[in-house]
Amino acid sequence: MIIEKENIESYIPQRFPFIMIDSLIHADESGFISSFQVMEENIFSENGFLTEPALIENIAQTCAAGFGFIGQKNNEGPSIGYIGSISNLTVHQLPDYGTTIITKIEITNSLGNIFLIKGRNTCNENLLIECEMKIALA
Amino acid sequence: MNREEIITTTKRFLSEEFEVDETLIENQKNLKDTLELDSLDYVDLVVVIEENFGFKTSGEDFKSISTFEDFYNFVERKLAAMA
Repeated sequence: MIIEKENIESYIPQRFPFIMIDSLIHADESGFISSFQVMEENIFSENGFLTEPALIENIAQTCAAGFGFIGQKNNEGPSIGYIGSISNLTVHQLPDYGTTIITKIEITNSLGNIFLIKGRNTCNENLLIECEMKIALA
Repeated sequence: MNREEIITTTKRFLSEEFEVDETLIENQKNLKDTLELDSLDYVDLVVVIEENFGFKTSGEDFKSISTFEDFYNFVERKLAAMA
C-alpha cells in the first residue's frame, strides 16, 4: 500500500461523497493499481450494486492518484488530470455491496502531458468494466 | 518500405483513424488542418504511427512536421534509421 485511505485526498481533487478510490496499492511509470470497497451508502449504489458511473470514476481517480503519487515522488507536486475522452468502454458486470474492487491502469502511450491509458476493474477476479481514457495533466 | 508504400499506408490509416477522405490527403496540404487535429488527437497519431511503422514518436518530432510531405520525409528518415 503506497497511499492509505486516510491520505488519499492529498492526491486527488475529489472530495466526499465523490471519492471512488480507497487506497493506491502500486504506482510506477507503466501503470497504477488501486482498491475500493463498495458501500451501500455510496451515491452511485443502486439495487444492491455499485453502478457504471462509479466504476468509470474509479478508473479516472486511480489515474489521478497514480499521477499524483508519481508527481510527488519526482518533487513536482500532484497534477490535476482532465479526462479528454473515454473509448472502447465495455461493462461486464457490477459489484455487490461489501465487495472490494481492484483497479489496474496500464499507461499505453503518451505525448507530452497527455496520456492514453487502459483501465479495468475487477471484483474477486471477475472483470467489471474496461475502457481506454485520454488523460491530460495540467 | 519505400516512399510509395509509406504514402499508401499513411493515407489508409489516417483516413480510417481521423475519418477523412483519402483524396484530401495531398502532399502540400497542412496535416493538422486537414485532419482537424487537436492536442488530444496527437496521442492517437502517435499510436497509429507506432502500429503501422513500428517506431515511437515524441512531441519534438511533430515540431518539424507541417505538411503531409514533411510527414512522409519524417517517416522515411525514421525507417532508414531503424534499418
